[in-house]
Amino acid sequence: MLTYAFKRTLTALPVLWIAITVCFFVLRLAPGGPFDGERPMPPGIKANLDAHYNLDKPLIQQYAIYIGNVLKGDLGPSFTTEDFSVAEQISIGLPYTLILGAAAFVVSILLGVLAGIIGALKRNSWSDHTLAALVLLGLVIPNFLMAPILQLIFGIELDWLPVGGWGDGSLRYLVLPVAVLSFPHIARISRLMRGTMIEVLNSNFIRTARSKGLSSTPIVMRHALRPALMPVMSYLGPAAGYLLTGSLVVEQIFGLPGIGRYFINAALNRDYGMVLGTVIFYMIVILILNLIVDLLYAWLDPRVRAQ
Amino acid sequence: MTKLLSVKDLHVDFATEDGTVNAVRGINCHINPGECLGVVGESGSGKSQTFLAAMNLLSKNGKARGEINFKGQNLLDLPLKELNKIRGSSISMIFQDPLTSLTPHMRVVDQMREVLKFHQKLSGTEADKKCLEWLERVHIPEAKRRLRQYPFELSGGMRQRVMIAMAMLCNPDLLIADEPTTALDVTIQAEILDIMDELRREQGTAIVMITHDMGVVARMCDRIQVMRHGEYVEEGAVDDIFSNPQTEYTRMLLDAMPRIDAPRDSETKPVKEPAKDHFLNVDNLKVEFNIFNGLFARKSVLKAVDGVSFDLAKGETLGIVGESGSGKSTLARAILRLLSTSEGEVSWLGSDLIGMNADQMKKARQDLQIVFQDPMASLNPSMTIGSSIMEPLRIFAPELSREERRAKVEAIMDRVGLPKSMINRYPHELSGGQNQRVGIARAVIMNPKLVICDEAVSALDVSIQAQIIDLLRELQKDMGLSLIFISHDLSVVRNISDRILVMYLGNVVELATSDALFDNPQHPYTKQLISAVPIPDPEVERTRKRLKLKGELSSPLDSAARLRFMPSKSEVLNNAQKSDYRPRLIDHGDNHFVAEHDPIETLLVNE
Repeated sequence: MLTYAFKRTLTALPVLWIAITVCFFVLRLAPGGPFDGERPMPPGIKANLDAHYNLDKPLIQQYAIYIGNVLKGDLGPSFTTEDFSVAEQISIGLPYTLILGAAAFVVSILLGVLAGIIGALKRNSWSDHTLAALVLLGLVIPNFLMAPILQLIFGIELDWLPVGGWGDGSLRYLVLPVAVLSFPHIARISRLMRGTMIEVLNSNFIRTARSKGLSSTPIVMRHALRPALMPVMSYLGPAAGYLLTGSLVVEQIFGLPGIGRYFINAALNRDYGMVLGTVIFYMIVILILNLIVDLLYAWLDPRVRAQ
Repeated sequence: MTKLLSVKDLHVDFATEDGTVNAVRGINCHINPGECLGVVGESGSGKSQTFLAAMNLLSKNGKARGEINFKGQNLLDLPLKELNKIRGSSISMIFQDPLTSLTPHMRVVDQMREVLKFHQKLSGTEADKKCLEWLERVHIPEAKRRLRQYPFELSGGMRQRVMIAMAMLCNPDLLIADEPTTALDVTIQAEILDIMDELRREQGTAIVMITHDMGVVARMCDRIQVMRHGEYVEEGAVDDIFSNPQTEYTRMLLDAMPRIDAPRDSETKPVKEPAKDHFLNVDNLKVEFNIFNGLFARKSVLKAVDGVSFDLAKGETLGIVGESGSGKSTLARAILRLLSTSEGEVSWLGSDLIGMNADQMKKARQDLQIVFQDPMASLNPSMTIGSSIMEPLRIFAPELSREERRAKVEAIMDRVGLPKSMINRYPHELSGGQNQRVGIARAVIMNPKLVICDEAVSALDVSIQAQIIDLLRELQKDMGLSLIFISHDLSVVRNISDRILVMYLGNVVELATSDALFDNPQHPYTKQLISAVPIPDPEVERTRKRLKLKGELSSPLDSAARLRFMPSKSEVLNNAQKSDYRPRLIDHGDNHFVAEHDPIETLLVNE
């Protein structure tokens, strides 16, 4: 198992390198630079700044320097926030983003799987139809619309929950952002889960389990759940990606101090180091999550383990 | 004698989008304690549904009416909680497809344990002991290790044994077996049937044997109930039904069943020297697949076809038999270049087929056609059968006009016995037999010289099977076709073939004329295969002795497995030599070739 994990990590490295390279050059294609403001800077100062950040060297050399630094674990300085390195900025925002993302991830899986099982067991009943309607809502309403609606209802009209901010970091402040962030994923996971659960419940080995006299709880929990989870698992990797990009918007709307905010500002200000650093960080997170998903696969299906 | 289970006026209806389907219409039957009842009928006869209804295992849209009495209770009226106390305990069931009938992610022992836990409140070492005991009783080798394994680590026959062991854990009064051996090879089938027979004698368990195979019935059952289209046809003691069937349908079922002990019913063509015919000559053909385990693991080579040579004469029918994994289908596909070969030569009408370029090959394909096993799955579901049949015309005869093509398609449909009105139908609207006629029409529309039938009748009911074989024979006679007829079913192959090639793990073990092979088999494996096929005649079956050879069909990945019939050689060779050594084919005269082997006496299982 460990060697498997190690091999997977090795194969992820070239992917990471390609992504960094593409990102590096695409960013430079965008017009403007970190020091272009509304008022043009005196050329002397700009030249000094460019020299300080290596921007005066040929692009390919800048690329080599950057890759060299990354290999040393140095994501470089932030171009627009003085005295802060990219790593420092990320580590400031990180806890908030991680808490938000992890909570949304767990909530998505739990509620999605649960709703999917209910839908499959009570096929075509009113509860199945209600769930299907909610799912549709989750899929069609974008998060930047969902967020203000929920803020309006629960934050202002009912006054149950804070409208935004991190506050004292208590659960109350997390409920709305997590809800907005996880809603579309709950919707997708529950649909996936419902479909595969129905399929699994019709399979021959479930018929065997029924013929053994087992009641429906052990049949679902012991025999059907694990195979039905397989497609959900393969969705979790991409879902983690969506959650991270979704968190950019949600952090902005709810005024949370996560990395998302820095990322958006950095992109607008052409803070090359910050954008690249955040991208690398996100990719590593997603690669790790995908690795975890693969390992979970092996747990779900003994055939994968054997290979 | 009190009846163990009695079914009274049972109806099973399925609500479908096209209205209600009455799958079972007023069936009455019963089973006595300790007896074996054969329930026979073709697909759609409702034989499985009757007993799935008794176990409340119908699919969701199914509804059963009537009465099924077991120990004074009507199973159809029982609340699920009460029924669950009976299912798996006093009545248990095994199913057709052992590959999918076990939960894939649970160890064998965990699946068996839950039966004991639920019905007998047994757990821990006591339960484990019982599981082990039952695995040993169904003759699973290395039973202790098997307990810890997952279903995918076991072969099909092994899985079916696990199913049986699991079904027997609580000593049921009744075991319902729904086509338990249909998906298995004949030698495995013989073993499974032996085990079931043994259990019945030792435990007194009554068995309901649901099957389409009259041979299995003759081998196992005391009494038969024949069903057709959900209705009762006739019922009686096995000897009475076989010797004196009362209805036309039963007689037809018995007659349609090809018998391995019957000589072929068409005239035997004299065997010329096919090698000199320069029709199809296959020489030392090898097909190897590289198997990669994991991303960085080293590859292993699976030798699916490992040096096969044979010649086929014009107009001749060559049967190829072998169990699953023997490489017979791979061989067929390799000859047609549907798979790439790794070594060897195929010469077609005197020219080298393997070396042909794309243009030459396209031209050759017109004469080389294949009919596949699963008629439905091998036709494009989004094309009408008319356009499927027409497709070869579009490729090989683009000069024809629309009308000419249509006329040709209609003519060939007529020839294979399909009504012209079906030309715009889709495969899912046709029955299996009709779809196979489409497959045949598609294959013969360009007047090919060779048609390979790869298990072409295996998925069909016996009566349909007989019709398709007759059709192939007629076409052969009219068009002068050569046929390569691949099947795992020896009785069918005997019936249609002039010569037969027996394969074992990618090698030829015997090649002889049909009659010589069955009347005078030489290789131990051939002998074992023939003895394993049940004969649809209860009297013959009772006195027949089955040959049991040491070892079992092993994986083609295991290079030493080829020497299974030559243990004497295997002892003197080292590992490298073992994987290189191929038993040679020895000419016994009269076109009878047999692979080297040790005397059969040394290979038999001592009992």
